[in-house]
Amino acid sequence: MSNREITLEVRELTKRFGSLVAVDHVSFEIRRGEFFSLLGPSGSGKTTILRMVGGLLTPDEGQVFLGGKDITFDPPEKRDVNIVFQNYALFPHLNVYDNVAFGPRRHRWPEAKIREEVTRLLEMVHLTGYEQKYPRQLSGGEKQRVALIRALITRPQLLLLDEPLGALDLKIRQSLQLELVDIQEETGITFIYVTHDQSEALTMADRLAVMDKGRVLQIGDPKTIYEQPQNRFVAHFIGNTNMLEGKVAAVEGQDVRVRVPKLGEFWGRPLDGADVRPGQSVTMSIRPEKMRISRQEPERPGYNKIAGVVEDLIYVGVSTEFIVRVSPVKTLRIFAQNISREDDLWQITWDDPVWVYWRPERSLVLVE
Amino acid sequence: MSAASMTRQARRVRFRYAFYRNLGLTLNIFPPFIYLMLLFYAPMAIMLVMSFWKSGFMTLEPAFTLDNYVKFFTTPIYVRAMVNTFLIATGSMIALILVGYPIAYYLARYAPQWESLILYFLIIPVEINFLVRIFAWKIALGRSGIINSALMSLGLIEEPLKFLLYSKTAVVIVLLHEWLPYVVIPIYLALKGVSPDVIDAARTLGSDRWSVFRHVLLPLSVPGLFASFVLVYIPMLGEFAVPALVGGPSAYMLGNVIESQFLSAGNWGVGSAIGFILLTITLALVAIVIKVAGVEELM
Repeated sequence: MSNREITLEVRELTKRFGSLVAVDHVSFEIRRGEFFSLLGPSGSGKTTILRMVGGLLTPDEGQVFLGGKDITFDPPEKRDVNIVFQNYALFPHLNVYDNVAFGPRRHRWPEAKIREEVTRLLEMVHLTGYEQKYPRQLSGGEKQRVALIRALITRPQLLLLDEPLGALDLKIRQSLQLELVDIQEETGITFIYVTHDQSEALTMADRLAVMDKGRVLQIGDPKTIYEQPQNRFVAHFIGNTNMLEGKVAAVEGQDVRVRVPKLGEFWGRPLDGADVRPGQSVTMSIRPEKMRISRQEPERPGYNKIAGVVEDLIYVGVSTEFIVRVSPVKTLRIFAQNISREDDLWQITWDDPVWVYWRPERSLVLVE
Repeated sequence: MSAASMTRQARRVRFRYAFYRNLGLTLNIFPPFIYLMLLFYAPMAIMLVMSFWKSGFMTLEPAFTLDNYVKFFTTPIYVRAMVNTFLIATGSMIALILVGYPIAYYLARYAPQWESLILYFLIIPVEINFLVRIFAWKIALGRSGIINSALMSLGLIEEPLKFLLYSKTAVVIVLLHEWLPYVVIPIYLALKGVSPDVIDAARTLGSDRWSVFRHVLLPLSVPGLFASFVLVYIPMLGEFAVPALVGGPSAYMLGNVIESQFLSAGNWGVGSAIGFILLTITLALVAIVIKVAGVEELM
């Protein structure tokens, strides 16, 4: 980690609801100005973490530091942290102007400064002229933009966003994603963005934490998380992947030979520093876009290869997705770019016998 | 065929279409409309006319006069009854909100597991016949009632508290008990409708608990307060049974005046006039409250 200033540090944070451990000894640090995402399926504890950071829940164990100061037990109004909620949570009895001015008024800003800032922020999110409208008169996207600037106006050290785009439809969601990233860069405020949508986290975040069952499984930048997932859950949750389960047959330098029952033996590579021994049960994870498909048996020494039959193919314009059955119980997904018309790919159709092949270093050997 | 007659025919067709389309609706609202007309508005109209007729003991002469209204405003006991009416109703309303609001607030915000139980306990007393309830209060508040005897045996007072029965206080106490559920429930529903996220949002934006109440919950419960006001304050202005049974002469209200004008004094003209004075003041109050509270915005 670089020597940039740490905005938020969460240390061994734990929260239980009855016998359920919602958040289990979670620790992480977020740098100033970072766009950080907490990603996980529903019930993984990400919203619980957010509420503890925001002061809406008291942790059972652990500490929260904001700018180096312990704020674990500070009430929400004393924290320099604001939240954007999934259902917008606008004040129904106040118009847009008064909604945005709510925070500044609690902080006793002079009215002239409030007017200036509200006007500037409404312009930033293209809502000039909406001052007198009430929340019930706004669309979902407009409500969320109001909620966003309402939380931004006091320039908190940290802004927490709890699935802010979850209730919006795809088109508006995509345009707001870009708008959010721009606003974050423009304001320089540190964002924690909670989502269960992996593509949203990958496209928006500088770094993300993948969570499951109350624990953080991996923290890293999107590329590392995608290319080098540390365990099966992360590999499976982020993007698509093919999983082959087997036992380590041999270890040769960096590479590992894995025997997959009924399918054969394949070469793969574990993560740096992973301790892999012969006889160990492992999973190979191969991303669909890293595999290739051909009707002829490939003449490529050293490649992993496996024969199968095309069960289905889905043409999606820029690429084609093949589902290849390689055994009665196993199919593989392959994404192939539709690059040229002469390509062998164009010939492949349903029920064709094909070969699937990939470079050994493309199959990641996971111990967990 | 000329263009003018074309349009006339088209208009006739359109009218016929609208007539049949609205026939079902018309037939549906007809019975309640007739009912209200015959049994409510027609008697009111008759009363309004009577209030301007020459009227004496058991006599009523169809000759226009303002005497009935003049009589009301120049008879000290009637004016005092009017003052009493507003003092008692306003005092009871304030007491009801002071007692009812915290109950509603607690119910809506802090007692999810007790909600229905507490609501049942609030509503059960309403199911008891109101005369039975008033007599029960009469016993409790009397000179040797449980309140006085308890306070005396505790040594807190030497003599029974006289103001407990046959006083304005007694009327307020009984009205408080009678109307409490009608104050609690609308406020409770209004507060219950406030999303917890809205409260959380206010907290994170810098509001402490008091400020959340002042700037979020209180304004959002205004429709509930208004509903309580309409449900409770207006019937309280017309109250006559409670002051008659526990109020005594010092708590004589307009309801009692009207009742006695019709039933014992036999002066229907004056009775009608007072009825309309009360109605006018009530409607004016409702209009003022709507204006001041800005309820239209919220409804």
